[in-house]
Amino acid sequence: MPMRFVSFLALSWALLAALLSALVLALPAAAADAVPLAAPAAATPPAASAQSAASAASGASPGAPAEAASAPAALDARVQQLKADVIRLNRDLLVLEEELLYPAGTQVALFVSMDVGKLFELESVQIKLDDKLVATHLYTPLEVQALHRGGVQRVYVGNLRAGKHQVTAFFTGRGPYERDYKRGTTVEFEKGVDPRYIELRIKDAQVRLQPEFEVKVWQ
Amino acid sequence: MPADRQSRIRGVCLVASFAVAFVGSAVAQTREPGAPQAIAAPHYGDTLFNFYQDKTFVAITGLMVSQHFGRISPHDDEAEVLRGGMLLSYGLHDEAAAVFARLIESNTAPAVRDRAWYFLAQARHRRGLHTAAEAALARIASPLPGTLEEDRQLLRAQLMMQRGDYTAAAAVLEALQSDPKAAPYAGLYARFNLGVALVKSGEVEKGHALLDAVGKTPAPNEELRSLRDRANVALGFATLAAKQPREARLALERVRLNGPQSNKALLGFGWAAAELKDPALALVPWTELAGRGAAGGADAAVLEARIAVPYAMAELRAYNSALQGYQRATDGFDREHTALSESIAAVRAGKLVQGLHSSNPAGGATALGSTLGIRALPEMPHAAHLSPLLAGHVFQEAFKNLRDLQFLDGNLKDWRDSLGTFTDMLDNRRRAFAEKLPAVQNSRTHADAAALKLRRDALAAELAEADTRGDTVAFANPREQDLLDRMGRALGTLARVGNEVDLAEAGERLRRVAGALTWQRAQELPVRRWEARKSLKAADVALTEAAEREAALARAQRDEPARHAAFAARITALSQRLDGLAPRVAALSTEQQAQLQDIAVAELQAQQERLADYAAQARLAIAQIHDSAQFARRDTAPAGGAR
Repeated sequence: MPMRFVSFLALSWALLAALLSALVLALPAAAADAVPLAAPAAATPPAASAQSAASAASGASPGAPAEAASAPAALDARVQQLKADVIRLNRDLLVLEEELLYPAGTQVALFVSMDVGKLFELESVQIKLDDKLVATHLYTPLEVQALHRGGVQRVYVGNLRAGKHQVTAFFTGRGPYERDYKRGTTVEFEKGVDPRYIELRIKDAQVRLQPEFEVKVWQ
Repeated sequence: MPADRQSRIRGVCLVASFAVAFVGSAVAQTREPGAPQAIAAPHYGDTLFNFYQDKTFVAITGLMVSQHFGRISPHDDEAEVLRGGMLLSYGLHDEAAAVFARLIESNTAPAVRDRAWYFLAQARHRRGLHTAAEAALARIASPLPGTLEEDRQLLRAQLMMQRGDYTAAAAVLEALQSDPKAAPYAGLYARFNLGVALVKSGEVEKGHALLDAVGKTPAPNEELRSLRDRANVALGFATLAAKQPREARLALERVRLNGPQSNKALLGFGWAAAELKDPALALVPWTELAGRGAAGGADAAVLEARIAVPYAMAELRAYNSALQGYQRATDGFDREHTALSESIAAVRAGKLVQGLHSSNPAGGATALGSTLGIRALPEMPHAAHLSPLLAGHVFQEAFKNLRDLQFLDGNLKDWRDSLGTFTDMLDNRRRAFAEKLPAVQNSRTHADAAALKLRRDALAAELAEADTRGDTVAFANPREQDLLDRMGRALGTLARVGNEVDLAEAGERLRRVAGALTWQRAQELPVRRWEARKSLKAADVALTEAAEREAALARAQRDEPARHAAFAARITALSQRLDGLAPRVAALSTEQQAQLQDIAVAELQAQQERLADYAAQARLAIAQIHDSAQFARRDTAPAGGAR
């Protein structure tokens, strides 16, 4: 075989071997990064590292990845520490905000939750306190899904003096057979010196195949 | 979808699925999986509401606030596990590990401890503490609920692979695969990992078998199809290196023609044909491959195909075509080299990061740790050069950090404004208090209240005495009182003029009227006594309220200045903390941006080096073809020399 082709083939195989080594060299990074998670949709794709390693195969020297990894790791550690500090600061700031704006003695909070199956598709809620409109909310599909999964929305927080008060809530949405629904409820409650939490639960009334309100005043 | 974005999304899904499963199991009214669970504390439900919408920063800070105010009970343990899981999904491994360690040490239920051990194992694994992670997994006493048990087995297998125990890892994955309760594709990634590990460690047959199995698995979605392609490419190149070109072709044939792995597969397919000494067959995939990446940003496989095609032509003795092919390749490589230099200059000028932000806005998902990765290439010259890099884990993580830092910067700025507002509010309250205080202090409220109390006591004594004596006159109403007065005056008149005039009849009538009035009052006495007592009680309630308000007012007068001062001190302290964090955010943002640029420049320079190698090979091949043509001409020249 002419010399020219041998040298080219030899070099090509060297490049191919480098590509192949990169594919298998992906394993340590892949194994380190992959976090086995729930179910197929949650499984970790370690091969992403294989791809990035393979694409860098042809020119990367074996030593370079190890050296390069330490600098990003150190920076990443500092970013994580900063995140933790900011989260703690946010907690303290939110506590201050609540104590300043909504002291415990006058605080009242209204919550919305759902316990419906397929009977009702919530679209909006409107809430009045002592005949004064305090909260309206239009629901996104994501919010409705969160409510369906058991989330409870704090729709309003404010201040009330001690004594008797009245909360009136209306919710609108779509019920069975795509019919529009509007339901309301009114409840009186006593506000003392402690915070008062009121939960407006939208439930299925299976007997009547209609949604209805249930109000829980938390002690 | 970029792999690390998948990884992050799965991380959030894991914590979400865990949270749902965990919430359900901790409350008595457990319903069918996936259905809403009973929440016994509305603020904990609010945390879940935010968490289910992927507003993890709001969820975690809201949860910490609710924990501060003690309004999470009876979900305290679940809340801690949820908080630890969310911290873990942010990459705050140390914080998460501390949360889980505290849960384990405290007197929590065994089910809670098991979950905490599992998440602690995960946190340790992510920090690279694999032995400690295995130790944590070994402490789990019972199977975990739902999909967590599967995840636990996958983590076990991964840790076994980490320490080289591939046999044990394979056994765990086999057991998982044969478990009827496991999800259909459970452990597929782990088996791919194991296959590559076995090939690397020399257990080639087993490794090939695993990769072959993964490469033949039916794939119902894009994610699994992509994994299947990776497995077939890995198997193809592994068998090619083992001098098994036919097996390599079989594996590479299974890779999709248009997918993330198709270029590598086409290249390998061609080399397998070349190994079988069939350059004409090799030309087919290589020609297809060489035509890809025309818009720039060709990956390594495409670049190699551009010189593989003329090589194959040379093998087929089509030297002119080969020469032209090599020439085109070198021209293309030169142009590409120039384009890469322009890209490097653009990256160093900051256009990459700028472009990434513009083309990948965070939009509504500006929360910390957003799972939105890089979805579109930035608007810059030759952006396609960077697509392999942008899809890679290292760059994605670095970009995520940069985005997180920007979020933190915005968050701190918002709080700076809010603190200014709080300071103004506090000043207003102080002023209002100072203005109202003298008026309150000078008011007769206290004196009035004391006087009212005295009057109340006097009335109560009067009532008691009248009640004891059965004094109906005391309970007379104004009309009766008036009649009694008139009767009194009439009796007085009778007494004065009784001797002068005969008023016996008048006196008798007066006596009967007095009697009737007395009778009437006697009849009404029980009702009036009851009403008087009731009124007194109402007065007591009002007086009590007034006393309470007065006490509250007194407390406010005494405590409010101190409260204002305490708030002011807290605002000052928090401002100082905020001022300390802001420069760190700015510095780390600059550093992170520089790191992103360095990663990109390194990748582009590596591409330039690759191009230089290929160009050198092409030029060498051109020289060799010219040389051999010259030799051929010399050989066929006439035998006689110069005449």
